[in-house]
Amino acid sequence: MRTFLILALLLAFAVSINAAEVKLLNVSYDPTRELYSEYNTAFTKYWKAKSGDDVTISQSHGGSGKQAQSVINGLEADVVTLALAYDIDAISTQARLLPADWQKRLPNDSTPYTSTIVFLVRKGNPKGIKDWDDVVKNGVSVVVANPKTSGGARWAYLAAYAYALEKNNHDDAAARDFISKLYKNVPVLDSGARGSTVTFAQRQIGDVLLAWENEAHLALKEFGADKFDIVTPSLSILAEPPVAVVDKNANRHHTTEVATEYLKFLYSDEGQEIAAKNFYRPRNAAVAAKYAANFNQVRLVTIDQEFGGWTKAQQTHFADGGVFDQIYQQ
Amino acid sequence: MKTLKLKQAIIAAVVGTQFVLPVFAAESAATGTNGTAAVEIPAFAADGGSPAQEAEIKALKQQVEALVEKVSALEQQRAPAEQAATIQNLDQQVRILQRQREIDQDTATAKAATVPKVTLGANGFSFSSADSNFVAQLHAVLQFDSRSFIHDNNAKGVDGFLLRRARPILSGTVVRDFEYNFTPDFGGSQVQIFDAYTIYHGAPWFQVEAGKFKPPVGLEALQADVNLSFNERSLATDLVPNRDLGLALKGDLYGGVASYVVGIFNGASDYNSTVTNSYAQNNKSVDARLFFQPWKNSDVNALRGFGFGAGGSFENDNPATNSTTGLTPGYTTDGQQKFFSYNKNVYADGVHWRLSPQAYYYYGPFGLLGEYAISDQHVSNDSAGGVKNVDVHNTAWEIAGSWLLTGEDASYSGITPRENFDPRLNQWGAWQVVARYAELNVDDDVFKGSNFNTSLASPKASADSAQAWALGLNWYLNKNVRANVSFSHTTFGGYTGSRTGVPAQAENVLFTRIQLAF
Repeated sequence: MRTFLILALLLAFAVSINAAEVKLLNVSYDPTRELYSEYNTAFTKYWKAKSGDDVTISQSHGGSGKQAQSVINGLEADVVTLALAYDIDAISTQARLLPADWQKRLPNDSTPYTSTIVFLVRKGNPKGIKDWDDVVKNGVSVVVANPKTSGGARWAYLAAYAYALEKNNHDDAAARDFISKLYKNVPVLDSGARGSTVTFAQRQIGDVLLAWENEAHLALKEFGADKFDIVTPSLSILAEPPVAVVDKNANRHHTTEVATEYLKFLYSDEGQEIAAKNFYRPRNAAVAAKYAANFNQVRLVTIDQEFGGWTKAQQTHFADGGVFDQIYQQ
Repeated sequence: MKTLKLKQAIIAAVVGTQFVLPVFAAESAATGTNGTAAVEIPAFAADGGSPAQEAEIKALKQQVEALVEKVSALEQQRAPAEQAATIQNLDQQVRILQRQREIDQDTATAKAATVPKVTLGANGFSFSSADSNFVAQLHAVLQFDSRSFIHDNNAKGVDGFLLRRARPILSGTVVRDFEYNFTPDFGGSQVQIFDAYTIYHGAPWFQVEAGKFKPPVGLEALQADVNLSFNERSLATDLVPNRDLGLALKGDLYGGVASYVVGIFNGASDYNSTVTNSYAQNNKSVDARLFFQPWKNSDVNALRGFGFGAGGSFENDNPATNSTTGLTPGYTTDGQQKFFSYNKNVYADGVHWRLSPQAYYYYGPFGLLGEYAISDQHVSNDSAGGVKNVDVHNTAWEIAGSWLLTGEDASYSGITPRENFDPRLNQWGAWQVVARYAELNVDDDVFKGSNFNTSLASPKASADSAQAWALGLNWYLNKNVRANVSFSHTTFGGYTGSRTGVPAQAENVLFTRIQLAF
C-alpha cells in the first residue's frame, strides 16, 4: 500500500509539473494575425507583471467559419476571436463548449473593437470605383472571399445587400439581382479574407477588393501606399468581431483565469490602442478620438436592423440552399 | 473617273483602319489586273497627257503618299493600345487560372488533411485519423517450429511441429497520447492474453503503463519475441517474470541515454506464463529497472550500441491457498522440458527478490548479450515435518553472441536485411550465426529434508543445475520473414533418480522455425 501511495505521489508530482506551464491557444479569423501578434506581446508582459507567470500564446488563423468548425471538431482553443457572433454561437450550440449566453460576459456584447467593409482599388482608381453601383458594372473584376467560409466575406455580402435594399426601397428581388451581378464579377473565391488580399495585392487579379477596413490599411502598409487606394462607399455595415473563452477547453487546460484576463485586457486602454493602431475601430471613446484620422466617416448599418440578427441572416443567405447558393449557381 | 477613284482612295486612307489598307491595296492590284480605271494612270502617264493633268496627278500622288504615311502612323499608334488591352486581358485570365489552381490545391490539401489514412506495409496495417491522434494498427506474429530430440531414446522429448506463437496484435493510440496494445496468443494448447495494456505518453521522460505486460527485470525476457536469436530464451530467463498485471512509471532521460521503469505488480513466479488475468495474493511486487546507453547519441560509433543496467523485483509472497503456491511450476530447458520442480505442498512463504545485472553490445554485424539473474525466495513445505521458510537462492546466467555474415548491423531490436530475398535478382537476404551458453543453478537447500515429503524438491525428480550451449543460423529473408535452424545441448547435475530422459541424460534438440511478423 505504501508503495502504491509513493507511486501515486510521483504521478501527482509529474502532473503538477505539467500544469505549471501556462499556454493559451487563440483561434482567430484571417486578418487578425498582426493585431494579435502585437497584442500577445503586450498581454504576456502584463500577465507576467500581474501574476508572475509566463504565458505562451499560440495563434491559429483562417476563415472564420472554418476556424469555428475546427474548434467544433476538436481544435483545443482556449479563446476564440472570430469575425462574427454566429460562428461562436455554432461552437456553443454544436459542441457545447461554452454557454449560449457567452456574449453577455464581456462589454459591448463581447466585441471589443469593430470594423467595416471598404474598397481597395489599384492606385489612381483606374475603373473609377466610388460606390457599390460601380462594383456591379460590366467589366469590373471584383475580389472577395467565399461567404460560406469567410466571416469578412459575409460582412461584405451583407454590406452590398444592405446598400441594394436601401437603393431599391427594400425590394428584396432587386437586391438579389444586385448581389447576383456583383458575384458575376468575382473571378475567384478564396476561403478567407487574407487569401483575397493575396489574390488582389500579390497575384494582381481584379480591379477592386471588398476588404475589411483593417485589411485594406494593412495592404497599404505592407505593399506600399503607391500601389493602392482605399475607397469608402456611401454605406457599409458595422462589423462586430466577438471574442469568447471556450470554457470546456480552458477548464481542461486549467487556463480559465488567464484566458478570461486575456480577453478583458482587450478592453483596457493599452488593448484598445493596439486595436486602433492595427486599424480596428476601438470601443473606447478616448482612444477612438485619438485615432479618428485612421478611419473614414461612413454611414454604417447594423446586422440587427437590416437583417434581423445573425441567425436569421445566416439561414437566409449563407446556409446551404440560401440566397448566396442560389445566386452563385446561376 | 480617274479623279473620283483617287478621291475614294484618299477618303479610304483617311478613315481607314488596318483592315482598310489591305482592301485598298487589293483593290489597286485588282484594278491593275482587270484593266479598268486604275490602269489608266500608267497609261495616262505613258501617253503623256497635259502638263496640268500631269501636275495634278503628281500632286495627288504626293497627297496619297502623305495620307498613307499618316494612316500607317495612326495604325502604329492604335495597335499598341489594343495589343496592350488584349495582353492585359490575357494576363488577367492567366492569373485567375493560376490563382484558382492555387485555391483548388489548398482546398485539396485541406480536404486531404481531414481524410483518415490507411497504410499497409512492412509494419502492418495502419488506420489513422487525419490528425494522427487516433491510430489502429494490426500486426501479427506467426512462428511455426519443429523440435527434433536427438539421442533421447524416445524417453521424453516429443519430436514434431508446433505453432509456437500465433498472435494477432491490435495496437495504436487514442487521443494522441494514449497508446494501447492487445495481444492474444493462439499458439500452444490454450488461448492466452499475453499483453493488454495502455501507456500514457506525457513526455519522453514520463509515461504511465497499466495492464498486463512484461515486468522490467530480465534483459532477454524484455526482448521482443520476433527478435530473439534462438527459438527459445535461455536458462537465465527461467528466473525472471514473464508477464504480470500492474502499473508502472517509465521514461527515457537525456534522449535515451538513461531509461527507467518502476512499477507495482501482482507478483509473478519465475518465468511463469501468467495465464491468469487477476490477482493471487494481497501483497504486491515492486519491479524496477535502470538501463544506460552512455554513448547512444555520441559520435563514438564503436560504443553507441553498448548498454548496461539492472532489473529487479521485491515482494513478500503470501499465497492465499496451497493451490496458489506463488512458485514456479518448474524450470525448463531450451527444448521446454522440465528439469526442476518443487515437491507437492511447497509454497512461497515470505520475501522473494530478484536481481538481474545485464548488458549488451552491438557494433556493426557483431552482437553480444549477457545477463546474470538471481531469484531469492523464501519457501516452505506445508507437510507435517516439512522444512519451513528456507531461503532459496537460485542463480542463472547467459551470454549470447551473434554475427551477421551479410554485414548488416546487429541490434537488440531486430535486423533489417540490406537486400530482400529475391533469387531472380540474385539477392539472398541476411544471414546470421548465433551462439549461446547459459547455466542455471538451483540452491542446494531445496533438497534438504529427510524425505520427499518434507523437502522442497527431490533430487530423484529434479536436477540441481543445467548447462546449455546452442548454435544457430538465422536467415532473414526480409524484414518480415525469417527462418531459423539451431542446435541446443543441455546437461544436468545433481539428479539421482532412475528414470530415463531429462534430466537423467543430456538434451539435444534441433530446432527449426519459420517466422512471419508484420
